[in-house]
Amino acid sequence: MRLLTERLGSRARDLWTDEDTVEIQVDGAANVEVLRTLRDDPDLEFFFLTDAGAVDYGIDAHFEVVYHLFSWKHPAWLRVRARVRRDDPRIPTVTDLWEGAMFHEREMYDMMGIVFEGNRDLRRIYMSPDYRSFPQRRDFVLPDDAADSAAAGVNPLERPETWDLERFRQAPGVTFPPSEFRPDAPAEGPPSGVQDGRTLADKSRPR
Amino acid sequence: MDTELLLGIGRFLLATTLLLLLTVPTAFVIIQMELKVIARMNLRLGPNRVGPGGLFQSTIHGFKVLAKEDTIPDQADNTTFTLAPWMVYMAAAMSMIVMPFAPGAIAADFSIGIVYFFAVIGLSVVGLLVAGWASYNKYSLLGGLRSAAQMVSYEIPLTLSVVGAVVLAGTLSFSELIGWQREHGWLFIWQPVGLVIFYIASLAEINRTPFDMIEADSELVAGPFTEYSGMRFGFFFFAEYVALFIMSGILISLFFGGWLAPWPFPAQLDGFAGTLWGILWFFLKTYIFVFVAVWLRATLPRVRVDQLMGMAWKVMLPIALVNLFITAIVVVVFDL
Amino acid sequence: MTTTERPQPIPDPIDLDRAEEARLRTAAGLSLSVTQRRGEYAGFEDIGLPDRPPQTEREAEVYTLDEGEMLLNMGPQHPSTHGVMRLVVKLRGEVIVDIDPVLGYLHRGIEKLCENATYTTVMTYVDPMDYLAVMHNEHAPAMAFEKLYGIEAPKRAEYIRALVVELERVASHGLMMGFLSLDMGGLTPILYAFINRDEVVDLLSAISGQRMLFNFFRIGGVNWDVNDEFLSRLGTWRSHVLKNIEMNEHLITDNEIFRGRTIGMGVLSGRDAIALGVSGPNLRASGVAFDVRKAHPYSIYRELEFDLITQESGDVYARYLQRIAEIKQSIHLIDQIIDRMPHGPVQAQVPGIVRPRPGRAYAAVESPRGLYSVYAISDGGPTPYRFRMRDPSFISLQALPKLMPGHLVADTMAVMASFDPVMGGVDK
Repeated sequence: MRLLTERLGSRARDLWTDEDTVEIQVDGAANVEVLRTLRDDPDLEFFFLTDAGAVDYGIDAHFEVVYHLFSWKHPAWLRVRARVRRDDPRIPTVTDLWEGAMFHEREMYDMMGIVFEGNRDLRRIYMSPDYRSFPQRRDFVLPDDAADSAAAGVNPLERPETWDLERFRQAPGVTFPPSEFRPDAPAEGPPSGVQDGRTLADKSRPR
Repeated sequence: MDTELLLGIGRFLLATTLLLLLTVPTAFVIIQMELKVIARMNLRLGPNRVGPGGLFQSTIHGFKVLAKEDTIPDQADNTTFTLAPWMVYMAAAMSMIVMPFAPGAIAADFSIGIVYFFAVIGLSVVGLLVAGWASYNKYSLLGGLRSAAQMVSYEIPLTLSVVGAVVLAGTLSFSELIGWQREHGWLFIWQPVGLVIFYIASLAEINRTPFDMIEADSELVAGPFTEYSGMRFGFFFFAEYVALFIMSGILISLFFGGWLAPWPFPAQLDGFAGTLWGILWFFLKTYIFVFVAVWLRATLPRVRVDQLMGMAWKVMLPIALVNLFITAIVVVVFDL
Repeated sequence: MTTTERPQPIPDPIDLDRAEEARLRTAAGLSLSVTQRRGEYAGFEDIGLPDRPPQTEREAEVYTLDEGEMLLNMGPQHPSTHGVMRLVVKLRGEVIVDIDPVLGYLHRGIEKLCENATYTTVMTYVDPMDYLAVMHNEHAPAMAFEKLYGIEAPKRAEYIRALVVELERVASHGLMMGFLSLDMGGLTPILYAFINRDEVVDLLSAISGQRMLFNFFRIGGVNWDVNDEFLSRLGTWRSHVLKNIEMNEHLITDNEIFRGRTIGMGVLSGRDAIALGVSGPNLRASGVAFDVRKAHPYSIYRELEFDLITQESGDVYARYLQRIAEIKQSIHLIDQIIDRMPHGPVQAQVPGIVRPRPGRAYAAVESPRGLYSVYAISDGGPTPYRFRMRDPSFISLQALPKLMPGHLVADTMAVMASFDPVMGGVDK
């Protein structure tokens, strides 16, 4: 939509559209301004945030936080893709604009490890609060004894020789969001079941 | 020692034993009614395997309850935890001794039977409160407090609704009240408002739906009974149904003629046949009202606690008082 | 030789386990659990509370107790939290001061599972998300994948899709009626609701072979065409469903106790609802006329005529009435669909196309709980690169901390039942 390029100027890049969706890409740090413009501008009026999700494009690439918006005035969904760096995944929160983004952001933090600055309640929502890893990342490895099971190897995830633990070990972890409430939080690291590139499979009993 | 006194004590002991023995089958029968009647109202079958047509289901429930493990929470107060079900059950059992089953078949025909009854039936509040507190559980505490509030509030409309009937009949004894009804017609014609208030308050008093929020199992699991298992829970469970039976029995004694038979039949016979006749009609009428209570349970949702309290104090109490005043005025004016 | 020493007491296995757990936790750097720290000042009550300092502002706000407040755990095992959900409720007496939903008890990692599953297998994975409105769970991925593959389902398939989707909506909304009443103590309407649902489920089992998790949609259509069994059951069902629904609602709608407990409870204003992301009947009951079928029409909804119903008050009663109205609307839609269904194939011809082109697709449908959408990214391989689902119940739960404070504990269940969350969808 031409309106978008007008209103958003240089912050929106890579416009793409098909009959159903219009997509723009923005930089991570600018997402709040862009979304605010989209919501408040009287010609755009994208009042409803229908979805906020995260995509992991791989270990060497970046994250993306993808927002989908709806407006009465425009027939297509609007997709806003905000690029987030993988080694320091921080992005401002949109909970000031839509309170309903809270659970979305908590889920994105829980599953991907993206930290939303300014979010008042960035806790884990699905996993238990002391979980150390981010399950939906591409390099998520669950070090359990699946490798020793009789059915090991059916799924690539179960074959340890296919795991690239070198990259996993080198990927720095994400600390808990810095807040006054956890001044002495332990630094995030690889989960406790991985050591020296090997998983600590339990050999104490036959499987 | 007086032979009369000894005979009296012997008779009393026999009567109370019979009553206590009566409570358990009564509870079984009413529970069976609940299972099957509510099931049929819910368009389902209900238990139909244990015994012919599922008749023994509640009996087996009773025995199952005996066989369960008896757990007491770690930090619960053992003494009071144990005493609570006894208190509730004793309140129900003690109030049964004034129930007028048949002419001459009342365990203790006090001349102030009605006062005694309402005094004793309120003791179950203590049991529930103690159960809630002694369980060391927040759900139980909430349930116990709710129940105390509810039962205490509804005792007042309950007793006040009866005073109108008492004023009319001029007596506080059950058997004399029924005698008055034999001569002047059943009291529900004279005191329809009293009847309505009494019925609603009695349902609230015994924690039946729509007033059963203390055991609202969609909110508070089981209220003050949450931590009870096995026979302790069985006591509470039985006590509730026995109380339902008792309240229905008192209701019909006060308002529907007690042991008297309705119009085409002879109201009261003499001798042993009279006793049987009275018992028959008493149980028939009581079970009609028990059925109505079960019917209400199947149909109505639950009233919320604050709405319940509001209704007790703002609606039922004034109506009962007005009823009482009007009755008193009418009695004085017409010199009844 | 006997010694005078007492024999070593055999350690109780549970003590061994506890010691082992303590050792492992210390070795991993985690704090000991609350039961192991009993006797030490932990600063928190030990009933279902976090055993660590608050991590966020909101957590501190919820779990800090003022004078006279207490925390009650309406725990994951509870007769009516619509599944496994934990609600930590901060109470002052009987009045709720704050509420914190804790989720994740039913989390199955469906999104990640689907990254390893072929596009057809994904249909089986998404079924048990919102297990009371299963066809909608499949509809959105089917639409998204069709965009990725670049194929269109034939008309007849679209009509069948709309038919089963509306049938499922009738069943699901009817069930909400039952659950709302059950949570308030009425034992009967839930069974009537299940009778209605049973009829619909029998109907759908005639067409898909399954009673609950249908696996019926395919990329490019549906799996089977309607058959005689289905049509005959549909005819019987249609002849008595309106009467049944009216009979059932008659028991509840004018019931004074029900009305007293639901009118004015949990009022959600339209603007709050939009800010919170609430959608579906909950949003329409607050006055906002947003229905995905009208706002962004998909499938054949452009050709069907139906009105957009809203209610003004946003309370529990309005949400209930909204769903009843939507049941009737769905039955009207089903009538239109049956009238207009064209002949034709029910599955698009997709010869030899196993992999879609790389791209992104977003598809949203109107599920009985709100806007259910799927965002799928394909990288040209046999499995989706990213499969994200947005479940409406998940987002509606955010309304609870907004609406509940000020009400009583007994209303929690009523308000929650009125939002009709299904934990399978919430926890994915």
